[in-house]
Amino acid sequence: MLAIPQQLARLPGWTALVLWTAAVLLPLYILVVSCFKTTAEIYDNRLGLPQSFAFDNFVAAWTRADLGQNFINSLIVTAGAVILTIIVSAMAAYPLSRYRLGWNGIMLGLFLSGIMLPIRLASVELFTLMRNLGLLDSLTGLILVYSAIRIPFAVFIFANFMRVLPSELDEAARMDGAGEARILFQIVLPMVKPAISIVAIFTAIAVWNDFFFPLIFIFDDRYKTVPLAISVFVGQFRTDWGLVFASLAISMAPILIMYCLLARQIREGVGSGGGAK
Amino acid sequence: MITRRRKSSLQRTQQRMAVLFIVPALAVYALFVLYPLLMSLWGSFFVWRGLRMLEFTGLSNFTRLFVFPSGGRLYGALWHNVAWFFGIMLFQNGLGLLLAWLLFLRAKGAAFFQSVFFFPAVLSPVIVGALWRLLLAPGGTIEWMLNGLGLHQGSLTVLGNSHTALVMLIAVDAWNWMGLPVLIYTAGLRQISSQIFEAARLDGAGSGRMLVSIALPLLMPAVGTLTTLSFINTFNQFDIVYVMQGVQGNPSYSTDTLVTYFYRLAFGAEGAVGITDIGLALALGTLLFLILSIGTLLMLRFFDRRAVQL
Repeated sequence: MLAIPQQLARLPGWTALVLWTAAVLLPLYILVVSCFKTTAEIYDNRLGLPQSFAFDNFVAAWTRADLGQNFINSLIVTAGAVILTIIVSAMAAYPLSRYRLGWNGIMLGLFLSGIMLPIRLASVELFTLMRNLGLLDSLTGLILVYSAIRIPFAVFIFANFMRVLPSELDEAARMDGAGEARILFQIVLPMVKPAISIVAIFTAIAVWNDFFFPLIFIFDDRYKTVPLAISVFVGQFRTDWGLVFASLAISMAPILIMYCLLARQIREGVGSGGGAK
Repeated sequence: MITRRRKSSLQRTQQRMAVLFIVPALAVYALFVLYPLLMSLWGSFFVWRGLRMLEFTGLSNFTRLFVFPSGGRLYGALWHNVAWFFGIMLFQNGLGLLLAWLLFLRAKGAAFFQSVFFFPAVLSPVIVGALWRLLLAPGGTIEWMLNGLGLHQGSLTVLGNSHTALVMLIAVDAWNWMGLPVLIYTAGLRQISSQIFEAARLDGAGSGRMLVSIALPLLMPAVGTLTTLSFINTFNQFDIVYVMQGVQGNPSYSTDTLVTYFYRLAFGAEGAVGITDIGLALALGTLLFLILSIGTLLMLRFFDRRAVQL
């Protein structure tokens, strides 16, 4: 007898949860089914499944709108920034967290202050700097800027993980005559794999999604990244909705795959300290 | 004697290795973040012609920022950012708390709902903005649904209407980031000892009462984190406005923000002729830097003091 009112009392709560789930999934569902429809079919059949699962829109987006090139550019920039950020940040975090230098605190503070800095406001001077270095219209330029922006967060994460490793670990290796570089890359780094994955995940998301810096630094179509290309498509192919939906789907595919594989790590990473953004 | 010599030689090696190890990260960070930021702050006190810095001019860029014709743009954009912040606090962080509480009360399915709710947050704001622009467009799917449900008639022009456009953008931003408060609040709730809730339940407190009088005070650190993050993100808002309403913050600047205004001043899209005004842009950047740093510090202190210890 008691169980029924309790179930009833929970109904509004379940309704709220299901409603927001629908609010998240319905737009994404519309996005997916619209990819396979022609513009006329999108108007006639809004929510239903497409008549056929033809890949015309994807082919058009990949070739006619040249999203393929943008996709490769984004992959290069993301991979480059993730690798560079991990290597230099792990190198910096190792002595800062495990040596007694006397200036660890100041240097760590200098890096950490960068987590909050609104770097977009420096974009005028950054533009001048990039122009003088010949890094406009350059994927290398983007890799360097993104690494610079992500280094503070990465150093913070690596230092936190390395600090708690037992000190016998590197002392024993040192006794055996291992050099400092070898201790870092062959002993310490394999012990902080969770830190590597946190840094890699959040750097990859931030870099893949960024729009502001390509907008400022990239003018040549050959070097545009996916978000920049998308922002142009939305206006340019306004009447060809199927193509725009397909290009949106292509551009979110890598993140979607990564999210499905790593949902738990991402949830825990965000919940424990808000690594996103 | 020998051990001490070995120790000091180790110390010297470590100092040398430390410098070698830190230099690459420090060089990239200093060159592409610290240097341009400091130069931007410094440059806001100078007269500019194009991208060339001329003579020192004190605060005149700043006084120009607050008077006609830039004053109207500045206050408009500032107001939109403030409204955006409060909208996000209410709609995203408020609703997020409610959803987190509902998930906390249910043993089953929390991980699934969390993953669904957080998914839009890993998407680029450009994709989110483009998707919602298509859905909300006249003739789009939302119009079709509202017409079908009898809630609305004719063409849906919420993005073209200066009274509703800003609200729509705030809602899209909240949709984008709803998973963040849900994840942070559920993590916070799970750290609270279950005995506290058990004791309250025995005292006859309902679940609404427990949320307001017990969970919320104990969640103050999470509230602080979210308020600060929302503040920083709101005052950096650019992508959604650019993709959905254009860099002018259409219609008639009703969705203009401080960063879109900054972008127009710095990269030449302000006014019909589209000339840049670097002095004004840098002054706006410095002002925004001050708003962000002072606001963040005040918020961190405010919430630090309100953190309840048990």
